[in-house]
Amino acid sequence: MSYEYNSASLKPPFIRELLELWQYRDLLRLLVTNSIKTRYKRSTLGVLWTLLNPLLNTLVLSIAFQQIMRFDVDNYTIYLLVGLLCWTFFSQTTMHTMNTLIWGSNLLKRIYVPRTIFAVSVVGNSLINYLLSLIPLAIIMLFMRHPFRPTLLLLPFAILLLGMFTLGLALFMSTLAVFFVDVIDIYGVLLSALFYLTPIIYPVSFIPARFVFLIELNPMTTMVNLFRSLIYYGELPSLGTAVAAISLALVSLVVGWWVFTKRVDEFAYRL
Amino acid sequence: MLIQLSGVSVRYRVPQERIPSLKEYAIRWIKGQINYQELWALRNIDLEIRRGEVFGIIGPNGAGKSTLLKVVSRVLRPTQGNLRVRGRISPLLELGAGFDPELTGRENIYLNGAILGYSLTEINASFEQIVEFAGLREFIDAPVRTYSSGMYARLGFSVATARRPDILIVDEILGVGDAEFQTKSFERIQQFQGEGTTILLVSHSLDQVKEMCSRAIWLDRGEILASGAADSVVDLYLQHMTQVEKDRLREVAKQTTDTPKIWGSRKIRLSNITLYNQDGQEQTIFHTGDSLLLQMDYDAREEIQNPVFGVAIHRQDGTHITGPNTALANFEIPVVLGKGKITYRISYLPVLEGLYYFSVAAVKHDDTEMYEYHDRLYPFRVINREGPVQEIYGLVSLAGEWSHQKIN
Repeated sequence: MSYEYNSASLKPPFIRELLELWQYRDLLRLLVTNSIKTRYKRSTLGVLWTLLNPLLNTLVLSIAFQQIMRFDVDNYTIYLLVGLLCWTFFSQTTMHTMNTLIWGSNLLKRIYVPRTIFAVSVVGNSLINYLLSLIPLAIIMLFMRHPFRPTLLLLPFAILLLGMFTLGLALFMSTLAVFFVDVIDIYGVLLSALFYLTPIIYPVSFIPARFVFLIELNPMTTMVNLFRSLIYYGELPSLGTAVAAISLALVSLVVGWWVFTKRVDEFAYRL
Repeated sequence: MLIQLSGVSVRYRVPQERIPSLKEYAIRWIKGQINYQELWALRNIDLEIRRGEVFGIIGPNGAGKSTLLKVVSRVLRPTQGNLRVRGRISPLLELGAGFDPELTGRENIYLNGAILGYSLTEINASFEQIVEFAGLREFIDAPVRTYSSGMYARLGFSVATARRPDILIVDEILGVGDAEFQTKSFERIQQFQGEGTTILLVSHSLDQVKEMCSRAIWLDRGEILASGAADSVVDLYLQHMTQVEKDRLREVAKQTTDTPKIWGSRKIRLSNITLYNQDGQEQTIFHTGDSLLLQMDYDAREEIQNPVFGVAIHRQDGTHITGPNTALANFEIPVVLGKGKITYRISYLPVLEGLYYFSVAAVKHDDTEMYEYHDRLYPFRVINREGPVQEIYGLVSLAGEWSHQKIN
């Protein structure tokens, strides 16, 4: 813990916030474990519920879409679940970060803590939930005799990229949300539009060729494709997908972190 | 130098109308119609606070006291100027602000400790002592939502002061919990101070500031109006407050129609009520034991036989101290017509420290008609430090005399 503070000769906010976050790493760890604790304290089924939730969701969606739309996809349930888990991570994290920052404003107005800590702790929390939900996915894969391929070993990298991309966007959106209250509502609507623009419940082949570019412009398509190639197809992602995913993750995190930390000193004035 | 502010200004930009939505904002931004009202909460503050000092900040609401504390505790970054702080800060602002009601006391000690910037090892080392000090051993594994507000505050205080900070920021909270806990927490703060902690105290209790602080500043509208020894800064502030109160009431006294403050048949009008000290100088601050002269001008519109003039003194809290009048004193005024003066001299002002108000009145001899009554319109303040009387208990000093003799 450094005890010297000089408001004039500070390092650039981009770097300063990183160092501060490192100093408060114990708080970060507590915020993550506490949010998991409070969540499981309230529900009687506890951890089981996190496992059951995606399973039941997938069950409903896979019955609905496989029977009605009759997509030509092998093991559709797995195809769907891989995309859905990836999407859930992204949408819940970004939404929750915005709400947490507004909620945490009470604290931010009274006491100094590194202000990225809320966003980072939400991402940490979502990562743990994501890892837990891989368990039901594995059970389904076993059950449907879907092969486990060595590409699964690359999954940590994919998760890292998704985490970076999501954190960057979450930081960017929460900066906006601090200044304008309607951003959360607008974002909610955008999210549901984006959901249907991402090949989660349908294969890209289902989309008329002239609209495919719309889907390919969507960064979440890249992320979902990345996860699918590793888990569902058991292949290395195409070079295009890999490069796109890495650039998206880096650009999002750098821009999000930069915008957030540049504006961060105004938060206490605005919240 | 532990805390150093040089030329610190804080500006709030308040949009003239609230533009809460992005849509609105976009529309106005395009039209170039965003007007901000600039509000300087602090202007060009220069301040140096030394190690081990107890430093007071006084001033009316909205003076910028809380903003100053927020700047020092890094919550607000100054718009201009520079802040340097050397040392660990512990704010006792709103105790338990970081508590999560769903978590147990134990979990909240860790959470709140981490929010204050303690490492896990530090919290582990202080954990037992925190629980002990808060006196919450039986409840430590219950969720804090089941705690009473007193327990909440006790836990908050215990965590915030678990380790001796270099700087302790205290904002009006020296009234935590029951009397026993208050004593305990006060002792802890004093112990910290003895060991070299700097204490920054914001308080509306001026007595507390006088008692605890060595130096103080008086802030008003973001500017330092006075700084120096706490005693003299507080006195200057009190003097100013009395003047403000006097000016306010003077405005009220100009009213000609009946108000709750002035009423009566107006057959005799009272005006120019003034207080003088023993040297004949106009004054509104007195010491206990001083002599005081109240003078009022009257103007009788018609001939009135045996009018009665009176005054009253009330303390700020409404306590009626005294109510002498000419009739009770058997001081007869045979007849009045036109203008004249009445004076009331107190050779020994018996009341102790506080803010007091004079009322004045003119009444018919048989008490059946109020000519004019001015209710508590003339404030004066009594301070008794450096004055002839040092008494502090109760309402008044009776100027009694002590004697002692041994009986063998």
